[in-house]
Amino acid sequence: MKKLLAVMLAVLMVAALAPAMAETTLKVAGWDITTTPYYAAIKAGYEAANPDVVIEWVDLASQDYNIKASTMLAGGDTTDLYCVKELSDMQNWSNEGFLVSMDELIAADGVDMTKYAGMDTCYVNVGDGKQYALPFRADYWVMFYNKDLFDAANVPYPTNDWTWDEYAQIARDVAGATGAYGTHYHTWLSAVANWSVCDGVNTLADGDYEDLKYFYELYQQLEDDGICMTYDELKASGLHYSGAFAQGNVAMMPMGYWYVSTLIGYINDGTADFNWGICAVPHLEGVEAGASFGSPTGIAISAHSANQEAAWDFASWMCSEEGAKVIAETGTRPAYVSEAVAEVMASAAGFPTDETSKAALLPTSIALEWPIGEGVNEIKSIVNEEHSLIMTRELTIDEGIAEMEERAAEFIAK
Amino acid sequence: MTAATINRGPKTAGQMLISVLKYVLLLMLTVVALVPFVWMVSSSLKTSVDVFSIPMKWIPEEFHWENYLQIWERVPLMAYFKNTAVLAVIVTFMQILTSSFAAYAFAKMNFKGRDFLFMCYIGTIAVPWQVYMVPQFIMMRSVGLYDTIWALVALQSFSAFGVFLMRQFYMGIPNDLSEAARIDGLSEYGIWARIILPLAKPAIATLCIFTFVNTWNDYMGPMIYLTTDLRKTIQVGLRRFIQAYSADYNLIMAASLCSLLPVAVVFLFLQRYFIEGIATTGMKG
Amino acid sequence: MTKSAVNTSRKMGRLERHNTLVAYSFLAPNFIGFVVFTLIPVIFSVVLAFMDWSGGSKITWAGLDNFFYIFKDFSFTKSNLGIALKNTVFYTVATVPLTIACALGLALVLNKAVKGAKFFRAVFFFPYVASLVAICVCWNFLLMKNGPVNQMLNLLGFNMTKSWTSSRDLAIWAIIIVSVWRNAGYYMVMYLAGLQGVPAELYEAATMDGANGWQKFTKVTLPMLTPTTFFVSIMLIISCFKIYDVVAIMTQGGPGRSTKMLVTYIFELSFGGEGIATSAQYGVASAVSMVLLAIVLLVTFVQFRGEKKWVNYM
Repeated sequence: MKKLLAVMLAVLMVAALAPAMAETTLKVAGWDITTTPYYAAIKAGYEAANPDVVIEWVDLASQDYNIKASTMLAGGDTTDLYCVKELSDMQNWSNEGFLVSMDELIAADGVDMTKYAGMDTCYVNVGDGKQYALPFRADYWVMFYNKDLFDAANVPYPTNDWTWDEYAQIARDVAGATGAYGTHYHTWLSAVANWSVCDGVNTLADGDYEDLKYFYELYQQLEDDGICMTYDELKASGLHYSGAFAQGNVAMMPMGYWYVSTLIGYINDGTADFNWGICAVPHLEGVEAGASFGSPTGIAISAHSANQEAAWDFASWMCSEEGAKVIAETGTRPAYVSEAVAEVMASAAGFPTDETSKAALLPTSIALEWPIGEGVNEIKSIVNEEHSLIMTRELTIDEGIAEMEERAAEFIAK
Repeated sequence: MTAATINRGPKTAGQMLISVLKYVLLLMLTVVALVPFVWMVSSSLKTSVDVFSIPMKWIPEEFHWENYLQIWERVPLMAYFKNTAVLAVIVTFMQILTSSFAAYAFAKMNFKGRDFLFMCYIGTIAVPWQVYMVPQFIMMRSVGLYDTIWALVALQSFSAFGVFLMRQFYMGIPNDLSEAARIDGLSEYGIWARIILPLAKPAIATLCIFTFVNTWNDYMGPMIYLTTDLRKTIQVGLRRFIQAYSADYNLIMAASLCSLLPVAVVFLFLQRYFIEGIATTGMKG
Repeated sequence: MTKSAVNTSRKMGRLERHNTLVAYSFLAPNFIGFVVFTLIPVIFSVVLAFMDWSGGSKITWAGLDNFFYIFKDFSFTKSNLGIALKNTVFYTVATVPLTIACALGLALVLNKAVKGAKFFRAVFFFPYVASLVAICVCWNFLLMKNGPVNQMLNLLGFNMTKSWTSSRDLAIWAIIIVSVWRNAGYYMVMYLAGLQGVPAELYEAATMDGANGWQKFTKVTLPMLTPTTFFVSIMLIISCFKIYDVVAIMTQGGPGRSTKMLVTYIFELSFGGEGIATSAQYGVASAVSMVLLAIVLLVTFVQFRGEKKWVNYM
């Protein structure tokens, strides 16, 4: 009896102490933590399921994320997990031994990799063939449009099957009828000319940039006619796309899916006040409708983490259907694709209720925005530098493309 | 006083003209120097749409004072201010203490390797910080100084520039003073404390305000070293502010204006020391 | 040598040793911090220029490979290093004389007994202390396509169709303007001090010799100011070669590569940048740093040598 009592007492004590003793804090680096709603949702969702773990987000400014995360990893910071913003970063980090390989963990937990629709393959190190991250989010580009402006212009809403020429015409129609901007291009290469990769054949690192010409011409005609804001103005003022569309004087804006949650937030807090919808980005003649490009966001475990087991549990949860639903609830596109997740996404508060917007949740194909591989970093710098020269009209489109091809050739030969 | 005081006779028409021209010139230069600030004030009181209206209006039609209330809402600006102030005060104190001490050895003492060591100091003034920031970062991290203001304190407290500045000033203090004190039996520490330091007040004031202003305005250091949002300094914070409010030019200008107010106040009160200090220090190369 | 002479020299030796120890004690607080946080990293970065390293545990000897990489196909219009060098030198060559001219000009105007001299001095100096991010953002707005500066230039008959920072030719001038505007007041104060040090007798003597204002300026003021000019130009040239933050905030090195500076290039190589994936090529970055270092040290050396020849010590 005495013994039993002692055992019971001991069990009670352990039970009482356990949560306090086992409490683990996982530090996870991400960007724009305060302005992106799903970080808080993931934290709440995971902590509810795992009361002994505390998730602490480390907020790095989005503009400097690569720089900061790389310096932190290089410096041996104790942050346990890192969101992967650029694929090439993951390649570099894993080459340097900053990250934990996940192959054995994936096999042990039986993670179903087919659910990531191919978006997981880019987290395989090209050198050693090992998986170093899982995608939790797969942003592809969609077209955002302001329904109020379309209504005012009496122009029908765009559909999920339309061409770039139709798009340009619609932009002109809405602009002409309302005096608002027909469309808005952010300053990035991806917003203006990346569309050439949607066919799944072209890439931006293939050394042939003639395929960008159509899109630059399309852009410059719209810019010349005042259908969109000028690159010059955007660059000098530092105008962010989020504000540009939220102001309500822009009819359309091609942008990554991540903007959905930002926009819903703006609608809720009154920063933006109009009805909106999304649809698939236009396509070229001969390219499948609903084709887009995008890049996944992954989560990787730092080799410097002191809690690698707990970190894996969190990472795999984040990329599971359960985690995906939590992410989808905030209006963000998770990487995990399933009917259930799509259902959650469409029913998220603030998501447009029309059928077109719902159907836009199921893209027919997603090409990788930038391929991975040797020399891509250098090519990326080159293409971006020439992009800025074409956009500022310092070079004609042909000159710019010729320079891209000439300068990139050296790195493609590798 | 200079030449103009000497011939204070009745002025000829020519002299009058020159003097008028001089003031016109001065006023024009003042405009050039101040226009960005005036524009900042003016824009900060407009709506964001009116900031770039054509033709531009220097005085807003309606004063939007509420802009100055709005800027505190979305980004923890106040914390940025506090962090920067704490950092600037600590760095300034450390810098003055160590520099004024080290400069004494370089300026007033003869010892083996003095010139070599001094060249090392001068040499590193010439070496841009960007050259060695990565190794420095890794070292700081390895001693656990990452993401704390102490990293920035360590980074900025031992600058070679401070030593250089103080040494230049000390060089201008006649050696006879210290020689006489030495003959009177005062130790080197005594000479430093009782003779040199009191004479070096302007240089200390200069270094003080310099260090304060540089720490306040430093952008790269905090950007690389500080991760936690609430530990950031105002310059990095302002950049974050601009991202968060990118379309609101008026709010950006209001926050920018606030970010330079503390420095402006320090400057207003200390500018006499500041200017006299630089003057004396910079005079002799 | 007599006994007493030996004694004296021994005594001197001991005194010297003691003296040296005291001197070191003065240096210690600053010197230790300086060695740990500056000198060692500097040496490390020199070593790094000959290594292949991306921040991890792998660090291998690369010999001169990093230098071969940056000097490969060197050209001032094509290769990254060449362009960065050209831009930095151009920026320096434009900024140094302009800043000196403005600083000297301001100082000359203020040096004459002017009512409110203190006020004007403070006004001209203020840009130097104003917070960098704030003024860069402000200047970006001022130099925008429809900004006040272009509106004014258009009234004067120029045809300004672009923001300054969007033009390959003007972007670097935007940075030069901000730099000159920001620094002129600082160096003006140095010149003011220099002018105070010019003895009034020299002007009186020149007046008696019948010198006019311009002659007094070139024959008395300028020569007497050479120590100041020397100091100012050392500081300016070095700070020009270190230019980074204004570029980072205003143009990010663009458009294209038109404002890519040496330090911008170093930074991109080690930490990446907008539209540029992280490359973490610390070895290559350090090799570029060495180029920068070599240039700066050369300039410093030339100026120190020059100091002996042409600086007029009083």
